Amino acid sequence: MSAMPPLKVENISYSVEIKEEKKRQFDILKNVSFEVEQGEIIGICGESGGGKSTLAKVISGLIKPDSGKIILDSKFEKEKRRSSPIQILFQNHGEVLNPFRKVHTIIDEALNISGSEEIKIEKDRENILNSVGFPKELYNRRGFELSGGEQQRAALARLLAVKPILLILDEPFSAQDVESQLNLVKLFKQLNKEFNLTMICISHDLRILRNLSNRVLILKDGEVVESGITKEVFDNPQKDYTKFLLSAESLELTYEEIKTPLKN
Amino acid sequence: MLNVDINSVSIVDEVTSKVILQKIKFDIEKGRVYTILGKNGTGKSTLIKSLTALLPSELYKVSGNVLFEGTDLLNASEEKLREIRRNNIRYVFQDAPNSFDPLKKVSYYFDLSNISPLKIEELLIYFSLPSYKKLSALHSYELSGGMAQRLLIVLALLANPDILILDEPTSGVDYAVMNLILLKMKNFVRDNDKSVLIVTQDINFALKSSDQIAYLSDGRLTKFFTPDKLLNSPDDKLKIFINSFKDVSNASA
Repeated sequence: MSAMPPLKVENISYSVEIKEEKKRQFDILKNVSFEVEQGEIIGICGESGGGKSTLAKVISGLIKPDSGKIILDSKFEKEKRRSSPIQILFQNHGEVLNPFRKVHTIIDEALNISGSEEIKIEKDRENILNSVGFPKELYNRRGFELSGGEQQRAALARLLAVKPILLILDEPFSAQDVESQLNLVKLFKQLNKEFNLTMICISHDLRILRNLSNRVLILKDGEVVESGITKEVFDNPQKDYTKFLLSAESLELTYEEIKTPLKN
Repeated sequence: MLNVDINSVSIVDEVTSKVILQKIKFDIEKGRVYTILGKNGTGKSTLIKSLTALLPSELYKVSGNVLFEGTDLLNASEEKLREIRRNNIRYVFQDAPNSFDPLKKVSYYFDLSNISPLKIEELLIYFSLPSYKKLSALHSYELSGGMAQRLLIVLALLANPDILILDEPTSGVDYAVMNLILLKMKNFVRDNDKSVLIVTQDINFALKSSDQIAYLSDGRLTKFFTPDKLLNSPDDKLKIFINSFKDVSNASA
């Protein structure tokens, strides 16, 4: 029998009420189900407003779904943890890092939470900041003294310090230039290998997911319209919406071609 | 139409001064889309702000000339500059939600344009935005980032400027909307004999949208090239930049 997947997402639905429109229900997620295997990278893509970030928040427990279950492998449930086993690298990472605290104190705190021994902390800190490529001469900088890319790496190091079972990356590539994007892709792949870290990467950038993720889920209006091995889905899409997304990437569509799927 | 010849842009305080941009020289002609490409933090936003004297003079020193239809923008009165920024050279800045006054409703901006609701509605439909009526009743903080950005583009187009300047129009925008923006820019330039100047780090968008592209790095701007020529440029830094774009799809750890 194969091992239990670390995480199962079962029939998640989530909706909000719009007060202005006579309490109309607006479904953000509809019956989303999938399993995450140990050590894989899952890509979630789709247009803005498709429910990608909401799904990330539901999986990590920040939002309670209306129905459905997030099932974590029982072996992780039994672990005594002082931090959530599922961590998110948010889109606005700059606002997540305390601007007035020094990087080394932020990381040390996280290491403390995850139970690093006092005498080993300096070494653990260096290991973790090294693994995300954060330069040693910046350890004493405070959050606001870092560039956007440095903040993102420091935030990532803090997440890794609490040894998550699953790391969710929410649009990590937006607002990065191509050289930083390339470095990040390499970094995520390396972390995935080094720690056998399971990841979910949310991005509307298909070019990057094609390379980074083993499997993809295509989300449209809160529903999974297609999923599978990334290469298979991208090379041979079955659903019209996936075909549309892949063709929109070329930026060569006519007005009518863009508008048709937006209306449906 | 716009002739830029900036010797240098520096940040100054009482004791020190640091040069950010130097020898920025280019002309913007009618009927074309121009893009300035560059990595984050290379001074792209500073460059476009310097064109209409938008940089605060107590912090920045700009030396050189920027001529718009013969008017020297770096020595023009604040009144004249406001008029030009309102009617002739319009900006769509990067942090769209903060470009609005949060205490004013969207209707305030629609009214300012002096354009009929019907005409505005056309543009709103084009950009897949909510209806004129719905949007009018909202405050800017009730819009998502992507909506605010598209609305800013609509408002800029309503002013029918000679030059439209866009700062990172594709950041946080999905491909369908990117494609819409690209088509609109092309039509705007061709149908009305106008110009568009884009600054971005998005090579793909630059190649597909622009007639002329230049590369900014270390404070210096290359010449403007056609997209084909840019891809074959011998400039080493530009090569690294272009190759990273190609490598994202197949790099390993």
